[in-house]
Amino acid sequence: MPLDPSSDIRRVVAGRVEEIPPGERKLIVPFRGRAGIGVFNVNGDYHALRNLCPHKLGPLCTGRVSGRPEAVAPPSSYAGEPEIERDGEIVRCPWHLWEFDITTGQCLVDPKMRVKTYPVAIEEGEVVVYADPADLPPQPPSGAAVPATMARGRSAE
Amino acid sequence: MVTVPGARPITAPGWTGQPRLDLGLVDCDVHQGIKQPEDLYPYLPRVYREQMIEQGGMRIPGSGYFNVPQNAGRTDLAAANCDATKHSTHKMGNSYEQLRDEHLDLWHVDYALLTGAGVYGASVLPDPDFAAALCRAFNDWTMEHWIARDERLIMAMAVSTSDPRLAVREIERIGADPRVRAIMLPTGNRMPYGNRFYHPIWEACERHGLVIGIHPGNEGAGLAGPPTGVGYPTYYIETRMARPQMAMAHAVSLIAEGVFEKFPRLKVLIDECDQFWAVGLMWHMDADWKSLRDQTPWVKRLPSEYFREHIRVGSQPMLEAANNEQFLCMLDAMHADETLVYSSDWPHWDWDDPATTFPKLPEHLHRRVFADNAREMFGL
Repeated sequence: MPLDPSSDIRRVVAGRVEEIPPGERKLIVPFRGRAGIGVFNVNGDYHALRNLCPHKLGPLCTGRVSGRPEAVAPPSSYAGEPEIERDGEIVRCPWHLWEFDITTGQCLVDPKMRVKTYPVAIEEGEVVVYADPADLPPQPPSGAAVPATMARGRSAE
Repeated sequence: MVTVPGARPITAPGWTGQPRLDLGLVDCDVHQGIKQPEDLYPYLPRVYREQMIEQGGMRIPGSGYFNVPQNAGRTDLAAANCDATKHSTHKMGNSYEQLRDEHLDLWHVDYALLTGAGVYGASVLPDPDFAAALCRAFNDWTMEHWIARDERLIMAMAVSTSDPRLAVREIERIGADPRVRAIMLPTGNRMPYGNRFYHPIWEACERHGLVIGIHPGNEGAGLAGPPTGVGYPTYYIETRMARPQMAMAHAVSLIAEGVFEKFPRLKVLIDECDQFWAVGLMWHMDADWKSLRDQTPWVKRLPSEYFREHIRVGSQPMLEAANNEQFLCMLDAMHADETLVYSSDWPHWDWDDPATTFPKLPEHLHRRVFADNAREMFGL
C-alpha cells in the first residue's frame, strides 16, 4: 500500500506471514503505556486491532479467541444445544469478557462500542499494519537506528 | 369506566390529601379474605371438607414469625364493623361492603385486583391435590362473593404450582372469564419461578392472557425454601427486608431461563416487595449479561429489556427516599413509567393510600403509575 508522504500513518511490519498462522495472533509495538496492536490471522485473513478495550481499557488482544454460542430457544424448549458460531472470529477481553468481532472491531454485547482497527496488507511475505502514530511509540530521534518493525513511510514496492 | 357519583369525600381527622380523580386509579393489590374456613366448605369436595372439619381448618403452613402487627389488618377498618381490639384480617377476613365503602368508593378506584389472602400460598402445602382443591374453592368463593358484585373488581386467581397439570386445569376452568386477569403465587416456593417445572403453567397463563402475580407469602413455610438465602432470620422485620431478595431471585430466574423468549406475551406482577431493587437488578444483570451471555445464549437481549417489557412492580410499600429529588431519580432509574404500578395492599396496616404515598408526580408519570401501566398489563 503506497503511503502518502504527507500522511502521519506509519507502516509497521508485524512479521513474516508464517509467523502468524491461522488461529494465531501477535502483539506488536507495546511501549510505555501505549496499548500496542494485536494482529490476528482469522482463517487466513489478517486483522489488526488496538490492544485497548473500549470498555475499561483492558488488554483486549491478549484475550481468549473463540466463537460465540447461539441458541435457537431456551433449553426447556428441547430444541437442541447451543451451537458455537463464528469460531475463531471473536476475541474476549480478559477484563470482563466482552466479545469483539476480530474482523470488524465491533463489540458484540454493546452496539455502541467498537475497538479501533487498522488496515493490514501482505507485502513481500510480510504482514504490514498501517497504524496511527498516536498508538505507536514516539519517533526515534533523527539519525537513530529505526527498529525493523517501525520504519516510517517506507512505501511498498 | 365506572365512575361513582356521590362518592364520599375523605373526612378523616387532619386529612388533607386527596387523590387525583381525573387521571384514573387501578389498584394492583387488594386483599379479600375468608372469615373462617367454613366459608370455603360449600366449594370443597366432601373428602376435604370432612378432613378440614376434623382438623379445624386449612392448615396452610406458616413460617413461625408470630408477631405480624394487628394480624396484618388495619384496625380502623375493623372499627366500623366489629370490635377493633379483636380484629384480625386473617381470622376474620373482610367483606365486599367494607371494600366498597372504605376503599373503592372512597378513593374512586377504577379497578382493583383481588389478590386473595392465605390460600394463594397453597403451593407450599405437601399435598398437591388438597392444594389444588383449596385454590379452586377459594376462587369460586371469590367469584361469588366479590367479583359478581362489582364491575370494578378483577381477580388474580389462586393457583397451586405443586402439580402443574392441576394448575393448568384450574386455569382452563376459569381463566377465560374476563374478570380473571391474573394468577397469584407466593414469593415462597420450592424453586425460583423461571424453572422449567413451572412452564406448563406459564404457557396456560400466556394462552389466556393472565398475568403471573407474585406476592409475599409462605416464605420459609411448608415446602418453601427459607426466607433468605442465608437461612431463617430471627424477627418479623427481617422477613420484610428479605422480600426484595425473593423478588430479585424470581425476576432473575424468569429472565435467565428464557421464559420471556418462550412466552413473549407473558407479564409478571411482583407485589409488596419494594421497588428500587429493580434498579440494581437491571444495572447489574445487564453488566453481567455482557460478560456471561455465552452461558445463557437464549437470553437474546439485555436483561433490562425483558424486565421493562414483561415485569411490573407493585408500588406498596413505596420506599421513602430522604428527599423528593432522590425519590424521582430512583423512579427514573427504574423506568417507573413502564415498570411501576400502584398497589395499595388494602386492608393491611402497612397499606399505601393513593393520595399521600407519592410526592406530586408529573402528570404523564402519574397516569402511567396509577393507571396506564396496569391497564396495559391486564388488558383493561
